[in-house]
Amino acid sequence: MDVFKEYWPILLPLIIAEVALMLAALRHVLKHRNYRFGTRAFWIPVVVFIQIIGPIAYFIFGRGED
Amino acid sequence: MSHFRVFFKKEMVEHIRTYKLLIMLVVFFIFGIMNPLTAKLTPELLEKFMPEGVLISLPEPSSIDSWAQFYKNITQMGLIVTVLVFSSVLSSELSKGTLINLLTKGLSRTAVIMGKFAAMLTIWTASLATAFVTTWGYTVFLFSDDYSANLFSSVFCLWLFGVFILAVLLCSSTLAASSYGALLLTGAAAVCLAILNIFPKAWKYNPLSLAGKNMELVTNSIMFSSLSYAIGVTVAAAIALLAAAVLIFKRKQL
Repeated sequence: MDVFKEYWPILLPLIIAEVALMLAALRHVLKHRNYRFGTRAFWIPVVVFIQIIGPIAYFIFGRGED
Repeated sequence: MSHFRVFFKKEMVEHIRTYKLLIMLVVFFIFGIMNPLTAKLTPELLEKFMPEGVLISLPEPSSIDSWAQFYKNITQMGLIVTVLVFSSVLSSELSKGTLINLLTKGLSRTAVIMGKFAAMLTIWTASLATAFVTTWGYTVFLFSDDYSANLFSSVFCLWLFGVFILAVLLCSSTLAASSYGALLLTGAAAVCLAILNIFPKAWKYNPLSLAGKNMELVTNSIMFSSLSYAIGVTVAAAIALLAAAVLIFKRKQL
């Protein structure tokens, strides 16, 4: 925790950005039924547990057309 | 000209609705934060995870390390993400057939290509600026030294290289049928440039130097003017690629 106390001005925006990206992707996963590949049960853990890469992969490869 | 403006606006709206703008800005923001942080924390982490009794002496990190991280991350991951995000810029519309209506109603094909390029350029510029300003701010915050020089000219080189890559991508998209074909062609172009760099004299003219010599600029070991040939070649190549993209797209059967 010492590291966090010392560097919070940097770590806090980093965490906020990661969480924002995750929430945007999660919202999109839950709102849509069709994905280019994979299922909802596949994309939810990918988006939630793989930081940064997961949401990006979803938006680039997995997002279906509206 | 009015065609161009309308199509550019449509492209930007599309990039916003398909989350491309969001991805680019957030990813480059995250890169921007990570660079100074990695530079600062790496020595501390190494010390913590070293087994007892092992002594290593690491030099105190400086702003140079932070900028080294910046140019390593943006030239690799940053450009890869950019190319991936924009890989379907033309192919998705061609496969869905949404362009055909507009083109038969009289939208010029030049406006399509130029509008797409301008939209990609805007997003790339905004993203790189985000990463640059973030890294700059935190580097000043964490490392109060003035070892780093030529910050603007070195980031300008990287920006220009990105513009060149986007022109390559757009030209590949007009040639290839799918987004994967466009990615493959762009990758092949990058490999060709890397092979060219084997010849020691080629770096002076090679666009790749604009993404590889940035740290030499920051540490002041080369002059900005020594890259002027590479800059000239890159600008000329980008314009030629755009012209080629327009010509190919005009002859393409949709």
